[in-house]
Amino acid sequence: MITAERKPIEELIQSVKPYRSILLAGCNECVTVCAAGGRKEVGVLASALKMHFLKAGKPFEIQEITLERQCDPEYVEQLASNLDQVDAVLSMACGCGVQEVARRFHNKPVFPALNTKFMGASERQGVWSERCQGCGDCVLGYTGGICPVARCSKQLFNGPCGGSSNGKCEVDPNVDCAWQLIWDRLKALGMTERYEENLPAKDWRPAGGAGPRRIIREDMAL
Amino acid sequence: MSFQERLSTGEFVILAEMNTPKGVDTSPLVSLARRLKGRVDAVTVPDMDNGIMRMSALAGAVILNQQGIEPILHVYCRDRNRMALQGDILTAYALGIQNLVVVDSEDIANCDHQETMPVNDLDELGLIGAIRSLQQGVDLAGLELNGAPKFVVGCTMAQYADEQALERELEATRKKVEGGAEFVVTPAVYDLKLFSSFMDRAESLGVPIIATVFLLKSVGSARYIANTEPASGISEELIRRIRKASDREMECLRLAGETAAALKELAQGVRFVTLGWEHRLPAILDYAGL
Repeated sequence: MITAERKPIEELIQSVKPYRSILLAGCNECVTVCAAGGRKEVGVLASALKMHFLKAGKPFEIQEITLERQCDPEYVEQLASNLDQVDAVLSMACGCGVQEVARRFHNKPVFPALNTKFMGASERQGVWSERCQGCGDCVLGYTGGICPVARCSKQLFNGPCGGSSNGKCEVDPNVDCAWQLIWDRLKALGMTERYEENLPAKDWRPAGGAGPRRIIREDMAL
Repeated sequence: MSFQERLSTGEFVILAEMNTPKGVDTSPLVSLARRLKGRVDAVTVPDMDNGIMRMSALAGAVILNQQGIEPILHVYCRDRNRMALQGDILTAYALGIQNLVVVDSEDIANCDHQETMPVNDLDELGLIGAIRSLQQGVDLAGLELNGAPKFVVGCTMAQYADEQALERELEATRKKVEGGAEFVVTPAVYDLKLFSSFMDRAESLGVPIIATVFLLKSVGSARYIANTEPASGISEELIRRIRKASDREMECLRLAGETAAALKELAQGVRFVTLGWEHRLPAILDYAGL
C-alpha cells in the first residue's frame, strides 16, 4: 500500500486559514489501511480544525467526505456537487489523490493534509515498513524476495557493504540489513548460487530517471 | 584586467566556450587555449555539455588557468548531490578558479548515459544559495569552513519558446539574481531587434547581461533551431543568406561576427558558443572587430 502520515495540525491550520469553508476529503484505500486519511481520520481532523477556529473566533465551515478512491477520476467526480459551496479542498489522500483532485477542479485550491511516505507493508499492528520504490525493473527474483533498492540503505545490488552488525544496518540499528535477509533467505531456499551472480549497473530509466512515467495498456485504453 | 574587474567597471567582456575532451587527450584544449590567449577575456567551461560524459569541467578550467586563460566554471545539479557540489566548489577555489556560472542541465533522457540516475538534490537557486553560504564560511549543514572561497557567480537564462515562457524565465532569472547571481548569460541571439526588446526588460535585473552568440554551422543547423525553438528569432531571411552564400562556412562565421559586433551596443558582453569549431573563433572575432 501507499503509506502516509498526517501533517502537523499547525501546518494544516496555516493551509486553510485564508478560507471560510473547506471540503475535507478522505480516501477509502491505502491511507485508510494505514490510518492516515480514511473516514475516521477525516472526522478527527475536522473536529480539531473546528475547535481551533472556534477558539480563534474565526467563522469556519468544514464539509466532510470520504471517497472510495481519490486517484480515480470516476470517484473524484463525486466531489463536483460539494465544491460549489466551499473555498478550498483539504485532501487526506496520498499525493496521487491530491493531484487528481487538483487536475479535475483546477479553479479550486487543493491542499495536502498528509505527507505521503512510501510503498510498504504492515509489519505488525501500527508499524509499516518500506518495501518497494517502484524502480520499474523488479530484481526480487534474484534477491530472494527482498528488495535491495528499497531495503538496503545504500541500495547495493551485489552484496552487503560490510557495515552491518548482528544482522542490523549500520545506518539504523532498528533496520534489518537487507543483504543479511537476502543471504539468509537464499540459504533457506537452497539458492545461494543466486548470490554468485553479479547484477549489472542498474538501468534507472524505468525508475523514472528519464522523467515521469506512464503505463499505457493499448488493450484497455479507449 | 580580470573578468571580475571588467564586469564591475562596465567594460565589454568577450567570452568563448570550450569543452573538455571525451577521453584524456587534453592537447586540443591546450592548443586552442594558446591560440585564443589575449583575444578573449575568459573561457566558460561546460560540464558534461549536452549530457555527454566527458572529462569534468573542473579539470578543463584548471588546464586553462595553467595556460594563462581565465576560466569560468559551469556548475549544475543533475549529477552531483549537495556534498559533491560543495566539495568541488571548494576544490575549484583551491585550484585557482575564481568564476562560476550556475547552469541548467540536459535531461537524462537526452544524455549519452540514459540509464543513469539523476541527482537533482539542489536546484539552480539552491546551488546559488550553497555558493553564497560557502562564501560566508558556512556549508549547507551549517558547519563552519576552515577558510572561505570567493567567486564571481553568474547564472544562465534558458531558451524560451514564446512570450509566456519568456515571462517565466525572466522571473526565474530575477530569483537567481536576488539569490546572488552577479551576471546573467542569455540564450543565443539571432535577431538583434528581438534581443533589443528583450534587453528593455532584462535591464531591470540590475546585473550585467552577457549575450550568447551561437555559431550556426550550416543551413541544416539553422533550420533545425528555427523549427525546434521558434522564439529563437532565426528568420527565413537569415537561412536564405547562409544558403545563397558562395562559401557557406565563411558566411556562418561572418554572421556570428556581425551579431557579436552589434551586441557590443546592447549587452555587457558576449559568449561565443561554437561547439567544436573553436578553432574558427579567431576568424569570428576578426569579423566582429573584437
